[in-house]
Amino acid sequence: MSAVLQNLVNQPYKHGFVTEIESDVAPRGLSEDTIRLISAKKNEPGWLLEFRLKAYQQWLKMEEPKWPNVKYPKIDFQAISYYSAPKPKQKLSSMDEVDPELLRTFEKLGVPMHERAALAGVAVDVIFDSVSVATTYKQKLAEVGITFCSISEAVQMHPDLVRQYLGTVVPVGDNYYAALNSAVFTDGTFCFIPKGVKCPMDLSTYFRINTEESGQFERTLIIAEDGASVSYLEGCTAPKFDTNQLHAAVVELIALDNADIKYSTVQNWYAGDENGLGGIYNFVTKRGLAKGINSRISWTQVETGSAITWKYPSCVLQGENSVGEFYSVAVTNNYQQADTGTKMIHIGKNTRSTIVSKGISAGHSNNSYRGLVRIAPTATGARNYSQCDSMLIGDKCSASTFPYIQVRNQGAKVEHEASTSKIGEDQLFYFAQRGIDSEEAVSMIINGFCKDVFQQLPMEFAVEATKLLGFKLEGSVG
Amino acid sequence: MSVSMVTGGSYLESLLQGQPQLPSSPSAWLNQLRADAVDRVGALKVPTTRDEEWRFTDISPLAKLSFQPVRAVSSLQTADVERFYLEEAATRLVFVDGAYAPQLSTQPDEATDSGLIVSNLSTALSAHATAIEPHLGRHAGFRDNVFAALNTAFLQDGALIIAPRNAVAEKPVHLLFVATQREAASHPRCLLIAESGSAITVVEDYVALQEDAYVTNAVTEIALADNAQVNHIRVQRDSTEAFHIANCAVSTGRASRYRSVSVALGARISRYNLNTLLAAEEAECAIDGLALITGRQLADTHTCIDHAKPHGISRQSHKCIVDGAAHAVFNGKILVRPNAQRTDSSQSSRNLLLNAKARVDTKPQLEIFADDVKCAHGATVGQLDNDEVFYLKSRGLSEITARNLLTYAFGAEIIDRISVASLKHRLEQAVLEQTQRN
Amino acid sequence: MIYQDSKTLLDVHGLRASVNGIEILKGINLTVRSGEVHAIMGTNGSGKSTFAKVLAGHNAYKVTGGSVTFEGNNLFDLEPEERARAGVFLAFQYPIEIPGVANSHFLRLAYNTTQAQRGKDELDPLEFEDFVREKMKLLEMNPDFLDRGVNEGFSGGEKKRNEILQMALLEPKLAILDETDSGLDIDALRIVTKGVNQLATKDNAIILVTHYQRLLNYIEPDYVHVMAGGRIIKTGGKELALDLETRGYDWVSIEQRAAARA
Repeated sequence: MSAVLQNLVNQPYKHGFVTEIESDVAPRGLSEDTIRLISAKKNEPGWLLEFRLKAYQQWLKMEEPKWPNVKYPKIDFQAISYYSAPKPKQKLSSMDEVDPELLRTFEKLGVPMHERAALAGVAVDVIFDSVSVATTYKQKLAEVGITFCSISEAVQMHPDLVRQYLGTVVPVGDNYYAALNSAVFTDGTFCFIPKGVKCPMDLSTYFRINTEESGQFERTLIIAEDGASVSYLEGCTAPKFDTNQLHAAVVELIALDNADIKYSTVQNWYAGDENGLGGIYNFVTKRGLAKGINSRISWTQVETGSAITWKYPSCVLQGENSVGEFYSVAVTNNYQQADTGTKMIHIGKNTRSTIVSKGISAGHSNNSYRGLVRIAPTATGARNYSQCDSMLIGDKCSASTFPYIQVRNQGAKVEHEASTSKIGEDQLFYFAQRGIDSEEAVSMIINGFCKDVFQQLPMEFAVEATKLLGFKLEGSVG
Repeated sequence: MSVSMVTGGSYLESLLQGQPQLPSSPSAWLNQLRADAVDRVGALKVPTTRDEEWRFTDISPLAKLSFQPVRAVSSLQTADVERFYLEEAATRLVFVDGAYAPQLSTQPDEATDSGLIVSNLSTALSAHATAIEPHLGRHAGFRDNVFAALNTAFLQDGALIIAPRNAVAEKPVHLLFVATQREAASHPRCLLIAESGSAITVVEDYVALQEDAYVTNAVTEIALADNAQVNHIRVQRDSTEAFHIANCAVSTGRASRYRSVSVALGARISRYNLNTLLAAEEAECAIDGLALITGRQLADTHTCIDHAKPHGISRQSHKCIVDGAAHAVFNGKILVRPNAQRTDSSQSSRNLLLNAKARVDTKPQLEIFADDVKCAHGATVGQLDNDEVFYLKSRGLSEITARNLLTYAFGAEIIDRISVASLKHRLEQAVLEQTQRN
Repeated sequence: MIYQDSKTLLDVHGLRASVNGIEILKGINLTVRSGEVHAIMGTNGSGKSTFAKVLAGHNAYKVTGGSVTFEGNNLFDLEPEERARAGVFLAFQYPIEIPGVANSHFLRLAYNTTQAQRGKDELDPLEFEDFVREKMKLLEMNPDFLDRGVNEGFSGGEKKRNEILQMALLEPKLAILDETDSGLDIDALRIVTKGVNQLATKDNAIILVTHYQRLLNYIEPDYVHVMAGGRIIKTGGKELALDLETRGYDWVSIEQRAAARA
């Protein structure tokens, strides 16, 4: 273990160690047999196996998307293992039973999930490689009628609910990676807030990829019934490997009448080293359906990790007066590439959406905002406001903005603004003249730049995000 | 009208029909240029909506028409086209269905116009070959652009303007392209060379004698040397049955200034690509556009402002007023290359929808590879501002009058930037007619 | 005020500096002792603002000759932030806007950095809030200043008040006020100068860089220096400023040239 400690002290990426837990890893490669194996291991009902096989058949006919502003060598999908689970302690009932090594990881992250969960009253689901290893506060939540568990467990315990909603927001053939996920997803989080219930605590999932050759394909499904509300947090890390790992998750949110779902992510997957070697390919499909009247779906993300990020948390605003929000900070350094943004699809009358995106590029990185605002002919009175700001640090990086605005209704109003800025010499001099050194000045300017997004994060995540950013950009200025 | 369904290569072949009969030019480089273009036409495909650059503009209706090469030289007389003349313009080149019409044109008197050259290309080719060769076909790339390739394959004649060193042309030059034949395909070509320190205003003007279906596939190249100033006014008032496809490529020298106002009123489907390369330091461009369309019209404007060198300035304002079931498309790309530090760029796309069936797709796009830059863009889509309408009503104007006034003002803001008074008045009138309700 | 037991704070000898290869300062000599108020006057382009920025250490200016000591130490050995922490304060002619960074946060960080340097206690956000509000009363500032971005959307007068507020917080040994009066109306000028006067003690010193005599009606200088062509060409008492006001700057240069010929 001392080698691991050594790593923690010396490595710039603090979460880059491998936890030494014996794993049950499926052989590499993808075929119908692999899918049957996963389904069998998880003791799944027949309809779910069919769902997977249908997705697989569609995936075979699809091609990897070429339009994102990212470059990477072709992925060999046969070299990936599609199932990896820690062997011992598969059935845990509380965080106390989680391997202390894993808990210690959280402490080192500055996200002491164990204690903080208790202190802040946050319910946590932990996904380690392919499976959920622990879910806390399950009982307490059950008392108010909330189901919060791993999706594998939900498939066993609440098959009808899962069957009713799974794949309704992101269909199996939605896009290349969503189809792949639908075929091979191994675990994830399921959350059901029944009618009229306001979830009494923040729900949280912590994702970790641990095994070098495994991909992670988790599936999250959150349903808020009429008048229900929930705030959900997600955090991600992975060890450092010289090879690239694939993370292709699908998240589906469904908000019925007057329901409110707030989904926050701090993504800090391993980003590769300073030469661009290794790191996670983060190809994720996240979409919320604001199905009911006056429903609201809000995405907040702080994206600092991953070698490549390809991710557009979206809102389909179907219910009248429904609201979609997207607040994002994406930071890229070294050779990272990010193509991220959102889609706001306005269908219902008087639907409203807000997009605030802050991109910070440093090193040789490439940071793109790509967003779509579509106003359907039915969306009379729809409103959108978008603001996309970029900050460049150094002259080897790039920042791009690709806003697609498609309006099919005369009575809608769409506004988009974007600007770029840099951390200027004159600003740094002003700070210096007041005794503040450049590192501190940069940190303040960046936090100021991201303020509109950080304000949307739950308190403990905001603190974490601020720290993460300062750390991320250390040494990139001056 | 003979209609035949052709797609892909065969369609292009049909468009290329007239090409093999072109007489070969005495200039070997020009023959080579045309041969290269023919090769590219053979290798490229007609774009579809699956191509990102043509995502919203479906040109398949174009493929449904069969086009003949232009028939015989035009016999149009001054009286037929006089109404399009601009009183300010002392020199004018008129092209009828793509062919030069000397009887309608007025070339400058070289002695009095400080050496300004305004001529049809084929006449001037041998005398000015050394000036032309570095520019013709060099700015409007046709490697990946099938329409530019097609135009270049047909390159035989066109408009040539050379503003010599330090020449300041007081009066605008009028390039008038008249369409008279249905189902004709014409390939207008313009080359404007503004030598260092020169200043010139050029009006590029596309008109039709009647409401026919035809295709215009134009290419314009504009080269500004150091400190040159070009004021480029482009008016597309083709038949509302026509297809208008145009590529304009501009390259700017050090501290030069390019100003462009383009107005699209006509055509069933129009597509205008304007690429401005700020190729030297301290170059500046102002690019404004207005599309005013109704019925089933589609007007697509794609612009790219390429900041390649430091201290460049660009300003862009593009507006669309969309009525009926018309469809406006705008794609405005601002590219700031790695060493183009201290670039200052701003862009706005504003769109007004006047009808429930009208639609707009806009994508203002920034791609920035340098850190010390100031770039901003914005886009709005919507109706008239209610507060503005209310303000006018509170001063006693009727709802209709208030809306008419504001709609007119929305378009007139771009028209106002046209420096040729008579043209400005005519276009103001056109905006007025199309935007007023009662 | 000139005191008998004063100490030398700033000592400038033959200072030369250039920007973009063009020499702006061509040999400046100046000694400032504690308790003193110096006014440096001159027309636009005389080099007076350059002098202020060189003292603060702006990297656009290259020092090409001469020496500057502050409390006996070589000023050029120090980075800009070290100079600030040592007690050299520049009130900027055009304070820069820093959007997104709350003024309160910025002021507290600057204050605590200086306190730490002096071995004094730092203040937590609540303590600081009380402290800074007291200082703001001095400058008749609206408390909502604290919540806005640093200088973001401030009027000219508000920016200048914010500069003097920072001076009040940081208690510098040497304050250089660069055209602090420019863009101020009479009321704002009265408030700002009242603030400066209250901050002047026998232990610190102030250099006023200004174009107009107007400022000196409110802050009385002990010495007035006239700058032209990158040099101090004349030094006198406060009456010199009045002469400049009535006679303009030209006579100084003419007198100077005559003296040189003699």
